[in-house]
Amino acid sequence: MTLQFKPNETFRSDFAYGKSDADLLRFPFPFPEDAYMYSVNIEPHVRGGPTAAFAHVFDIDEHYVAECRERALVLAEDPKRCQVLPHMEMAEWDTLELIMESLAADYPDHFSLTKAGDLWTWVNRPLGIQQSFTFGEAHTLPYGPFEYITRQAQGDFTLQDQRDDNLYVDGGMVTTQADWSLEFNIGMTFHEWHGPVPLAHEKGVFDRALKYLLRLQYGRPVRRLNWTITINPRLDTSPENYPVWGPDRTTVTSENVGEKVHLRVELQTLFRLPRSNAILFGIRCYLASVADLARVPKWRRRLHRVLRDLHPEIQAYKGLPRYRQMVLDHLAPFDDGAPTSPGIQSDLDAL
Amino acid sequence: MTDQGIKSRPKYQRLALDPSGRHHLLLIDGPALSSEAADAGFDIAACETWIVIRRSAVPPEPILAEAPGAIRPFRSTAHLFSALQDRLARETMGLRIYAAGTEDFLWDIHGIADQAGMSRQELRFCHVGSKARRIFCVHCRTITAGVKTSIVACSGCGASLFVRDHFSRRLAAFMGVQVDAEAPGEVPDAEEIYA
Amino acid sequence: MIADGPIPLRVHDIESLSPSLKRFSLTALHGGELPTAAPGAHIMLTLRGPDRVMKNAYSLVSPAACRDRYQIIVRHVAQSRGGSAFLHQGIRPGDVIEAAPPVNLFPLSQSARKHLLIGGGIGITPLLSYLPLLKARGARFELHQISSAEDVGVFERLLAPFAPGQEIRIHGGGRGAFDLAGILSRQPLGTHLYVCGPRPLMDAAASTAAALGWPPGKVHKESFGEAAGGLPFKAILARRGIEIDVGETQTLLEAIEATGIAAPCLCRGGACGECRLPVIEGEVEHRDDFLSAEEKAAQSAVMTCVSRARSARLVIDF
Ligand code: FES
Repeated sequence: MTLQFKPNETFRSDFAYGKSDADLLRFPFPFPEDAYMYSVNIEPHVRGGPTAAFAHVFDIDEHYVAECRERALVLAEDPKRCQVLPHMEMAEWDTLELIMESLAADYPDHFSLTKAGDLWTWVNRPLGIQQSFTFGEAHTLPYGPFEYITRQAQGDFTLQDQRDDNLYVDGGMVTTQADWSLEFNIGMTFHEWHGPVPLAHEKGVFDRALKYLLRLQYGRPVRRLNWTITINPRLDTSPENYPVWGPDRTTVTSENVGEKVHLRVELQTLFRLPRSNAILFGIRCYLASVADLARVPKWRRRLHRVLRDLHPEIQAYKGLPRYRQMVLDHLAPFDDGAPTSPGIQSDLDAL
Repeated sequence: MTDQGIKSRPKYQRLALDPSGRHHLLLIDGPALSSEAADAGFDIAACETWIVIRRSAVPPEPILAEAPGAIRPFRSTAHLFSALQDRLARETMGLRIYAAGTEDFLWDIHGIADQAGMSRQELRFCHVGSKARRIFCVHCRTITAGVKTSIVACSGCGASLFVRDHFSRRLAAFMGVQVDAEAPGEVPDAEEIYA
Repeated sequence: MIADGPIPLRVHDIESLSPSLKRFSLTALHGGELPTAAPGAHIMLTLRGPDRVMKNAYSLVSPAACRDRYQIIVRHVAQSRGGSAFLHQGIRPGDVIEAAPPVNLFPLSQSARKHLLIGGGIGITPLLSYLPLLKARGARFELHQISSAEDVGVFERLLAPFAPGQEIRIHGGGRGAFDLAGILSRQPLGTHLYVCGPRPLMDAAASTAAALGWPPGKVHKESFGEAAGGLPFKAILARRGIEIDVGETQTLLEAIEATGIAAPCLCRGGACGECRLPVIEGEVEHRDDFLSAEEKAAQSAVMTCVSRARSARLVIDF
């Protein structure tokens, strides 16, 4: 499979970002029904799913090159967006192995990996990288193994150490996040890390999810979708830069709401890593504007209904109150009240 | 207002001896264990106790016995922390640490114990004394200490920070987030709530 | 890595280590790399004996870096007719054996300041998989292998590559001469204990450690996990009027799916609640984390992805 990349896209300042028709149809729309509430919506991460975004172990799309450049920019501004605690060294190599082997197997046109014992050669054609190194010897790479490979992957990643029947977030590459800080959260337990999420604790969601993840097995990854709303196609909505992107929320008008307001979806994948027994948590971010989503009849109806009926505490947590009514006013005329099919697939073959 | 429902905020309990421990070290941010810090039946004689007297003149021949019942004074918390690092490097499995004091004191001890390889199962903390908070500015990473109000000016970047209940044990600090980031200038009045 | 079902392996060679111990090297039948073998991981082999099929778990002793073969060491107990006897007597180089992908329920701690390894007899096997990694990382460790007098030589040979400069000791006098409490009481803070061997040794190590104040999170006993399946039973789908046999190694959900009926499910691990079906008759053995204690006691619903029937029949409103 050969992808056409769009290397000149930007996720800040001029926001030169757009979706091809195919890219829109592969969007992992996050709502399987017309209402939303927190649940343990985890399922096995098998190859294939309701859209093409689920076809591979790690999904690569037309924004790959531009997203890697955006990541490099964020890291140049703030190197602490990538941190790994010292005891996670084995998990770093596990991550490198998993991502390199998966990308090379799933996208042979773009990536290749050859091994001669511990001497590995990695080729990343879209980014123009060829690197030979010794597996297990960090000094043979320009960055630590985790940083090295996640600089070449789309989406954020965190590393969870498993001990004392808990998961500790002990490392991460976090540059495209929905308002949480790695620098602040690193070292936290599963429940501490999710501390600010409303309602879900009381529903027992995190207790059950933790038990499930503690049993996660090597070779049997799982996935779930999460979502929020972001103004402008901005990847770096970190708490660190909240003073930079926060004011965007006041710029939404009834004229620009369709283009400015983006549904931000995270395809989250969780992998048990072999040597370290750690869990790699991939948080792959997808952005689609309300105007784009309105091109898909099922999705526009459903988005309208979900946002209309959303629990007020979830609205507040996701930062919606300033502009939610404008989004509803924009979408309401598209919602004819017709029933929608269960599941997230677009129900379209082409636009 | 003082409970934002955030689950990372630590919960504390009055100290009770952990019978599964083999030896017990009690660390007190002050000259004695306050009655709020422990159950009435807490057997202080089972612990080796370290206290902070906040005086430069410690007794000329301090008790250094590493044994239950011994009480060893320190000039300051920093003085105690440096001795603790040295002590933990020599300790064997089976130790339990109990600590009573301000949140700064407790979580600094947590950091030292963690460095020594102790897990939370080996620590017992009770928060007594000032409720003032250490605030980590999530934007500029400066720590502002002794914060008693719901909103505080960051001592590093000057931002008006809302004090969230989100707590990092590693930084031993609560998170501060600019309160008027979306609409600059819209700063609510600060209330004194962490006295 | 997404595992795509069982891995066919070819027996590459069989090495006799002692009269009762053999080392098997198993390579991928169709070539290519095997899934990375984690230190402490085991594989479940399906052994097709002349009169029955056996599933036995064996710790991998090959290092994680070794992706072209898995190695296991198998002890043959006299008079045994189980899977290990079959491996010793019925398997030749070139034979094909099926394995489930490796699972690790005995992993090394990443944050330990020191690792204390205690093996009893054949319980040395997972410890052998730890050693290359511990050595490569320069980690601090201490190993005690308890052995009968006649096995001292073979354990010495197995440990020899790791022995120089390390605290490795073989106790040839068996358990009686082994000072468990003395060893456990002098370990520095931050030590993790790993013990593998006969059940009484593992229990004694765990209880001695607890009595000496070791917290539970730092004591690790080797485990191959709970058996996933259970006794077979009949499930009756009342609305459809169908009767289904649920086999020993199958979940109720898998048995329903095998008939071609799509049953609700999502996580397949007892957490999400999606697969819940109402129970009309029969007793459920609940294994999920979803239903509350009251719901479980009421016996009115079953989570088909993990739970089974305790009775011979389970009638479901589906
Ligand atoms: S499928 Fe999730 S609980 Fe059964």
